[in-house]
Amino acid sequence: MSRTSSLSLATRMVAASAVVALLVAAVFVGLILAVSALRSATEEEARSKDVTVATLELENLVLDVDTGLRGYVITGKTQFLTTYYAARPELKPAFTRLMELVGGEPAQLRRSKELIAQVRRYLNEYADPVLRFAQSESLAAGRSATAIEGKQRIDELRSRFDAFRTAEDALAASRARSAADKSEQAIAFGVAGLALSALFIVVFAVYLARSIARPVREAAEGATELAGGNFSIRLQESAPGEVGELTRAFNETAERLEQARTELEHQNARLRESERLQSELVNTVSHELRTPLAGVRGFTSLLLRRDVEPEVRRHYLGVIDAQARRLSELIDQFLDLRRIEEGHLDLADDVFDIAALIQDEAQIYRAQSAKHRLELELPSEPLRVRGDSARLRQVVGNLLSNAIKYSPQGGVVSVAARQDEHAVRVQVRDEGIGIPTSQHPRIFTKFFRGNVAASGIAGTGLGLAVSRDIVESHGGSIGFTSAEGEGASFWFELPSADRNGDGAPPPGNRSNE
Amino acid sequence: MQDQKTVVICDDEPMLRELVRASLDAGYRFAEANDGIVALELIRELRPDAVTLDLMLPRRSGLDVLAELRKDEQLRDIPVLVVSAWPEKREEALEAGAWGFVTKPFDPDELKKRMEELLGSR
Repeated sequence: MSRTSSLSLATRMVAASAVVALLVAAVFVGLILAVSALRSATEEEARSKDVTVATLELENLVLDVDTGLRGYVITGKTQFLTTYYAARPELKPAFTRLMELVGGEPAQLRRSKELIAQVRRYLNEYADPVLRFAQSESLAAGRSATAIEGKQRIDELRSRFDAFRTAEDALAASRARSAADKSEQAIAFGVAGLALSALFIVVFAVYLARSIARPVREAAEGATELAGGNFSIRLQESAPGEVGELTRAFNETAERLEQARTELEHQNARLRESERLQSELVNTVSHELRTPLAGVRGFTSLLLRRDVEPEVRRHYLGVIDAQARRLSELIDQFLDLRRIEEGHLDLADDVFDIAALIQDEAQIYRAQSAKHRLELELPSEPLRVRGDSARLRQVVGNLLSNAIKYSPQGGVVSVAARQDEHAVRVQVRDEGIGIPTSQHPRIFTKFFRGNVAASGIAGTGLGLAVSRDIVESHGGSIGFTSAEGEGASFWFELPSADRNGDGAPPPGNRSNE
Repeated sequence: MQDQKTVVICDDEPMLRELVRASLDAGYRFAEANDGIVALELIRELRPDAVTLDLMLPRRSGLDVLAELRKDEQLRDIPVLVVSAWPEKREEALEAGAWGFVTKPFDPDELKKRMEELLGSR
């Protein structure tokens, strides 16, 4: 599920906890080892004392044997032998005890063996033979032996015992030192281990705070901001694992919300723009209708209320007629627009000469303006196209009317038509105010009038939109070239009915139904 | 009448200029302008007794023309009757210096009466 290669937060937490647990366990194992080492050192020390006691006992037994022997030999009194006989059998178990106690220490084992061997030698080579001799031969002979050799042997033995005990003492002292060292080491190890564990726990807590608590708090604050409508807020995406996914998801959500809002705002702006265009249209329509209506009503009133000469009356009637026709044309145009918007532009399907149509239309517009010179450039043979002649007349009329309207200073308006390879091309050029480049993309948009409305040139902003729809419904195309202040040249092309025989596509109905 | 009054008619629609002319009838001399710039030129040149002014004129709007006239000491007292299809512009036009306001379509007799009042009150 994780989209990144980094370990998940849960894994990290388990790993860190395991490390802490291992560290604490290691400290405990170390401490247990140290305590047991300390205990065994104490046991060694106790054994060392036992060894010393055992040697003292052994020495006392040997001294008892010697004293008993010497007392008997010198005095001849047998009660001295009681001591001898009491001590003599105790020696063997004392040897065994000493050997057992010395145990695993090789140097002391060697020394104790030597000691025991010497005690045995004393017994076997001296004490026992001297006693036998004294009992069987004479006390006097034994007396001389004990006086010299016995004293020597006993002294030697005593010094042996002393040396053994000194060695044992030294051994015990070194064991005590080592036990003390070990316990110090164990304490140091325990303290260091615990300090390390504590440090690690603190580091882990800081890590948790940084990687979970802080990002989560930031996410919470961000969510509050989001709720307050600030969709541009983003979180840092540095957090690992699940929290990182949370911040990424948060950022994606914020991004989508922001996009959605921007889209809504744009939509809203478009709606407002379209509303503005609609209300502008209502104004335009009412103004456009009001001008011819003013003519009709004004001249009618004059005819009704004032005495006018027959000639003038005829003229007024002509004006009224023209304005009434203009009114019905306007209404037709609005209806056309509605039909186009609803997709019901019904087209007739005739083959006709568009050159003748252009000539008719030019005649009408030539009469309208004295300031403009209309120039025609038409081929001698007919230019046959297929479609709705009334609608195409509307297109030609529109382009001509625009050419005159948007060259208020007058000038040449030229209309040219020619047969191209597969199409008939019609072009209307003027020397008027032209169209700024910035307005080119919207020039065929319904109701769009650019800044010409402000300059006072009347219009509905529908002519070109309607014209384009009509031309495209005939399978043709429409376009223009223009620059501000340099006039405009509008053209349209229709499939020729001649070159393709009757194969030109019949005019399509742009209806969606 | 001996001294005929001069009226400059400013409208881009020739038919409406003719209607103003016919409504005011004889007794006036007329000059016609089809845009704002021509209107100002004519007014400066002729110093007419009155002006009828459409607001939606090519090149310079009617309100522009009113502002220009107001700036000029010698032209500021010429009565201007605004004839417009936009009744909601009445206040703006009067504030800009128009003497009267007639809504299109207009009654020819009403226009004649208003023009006579304007010239009489001068």
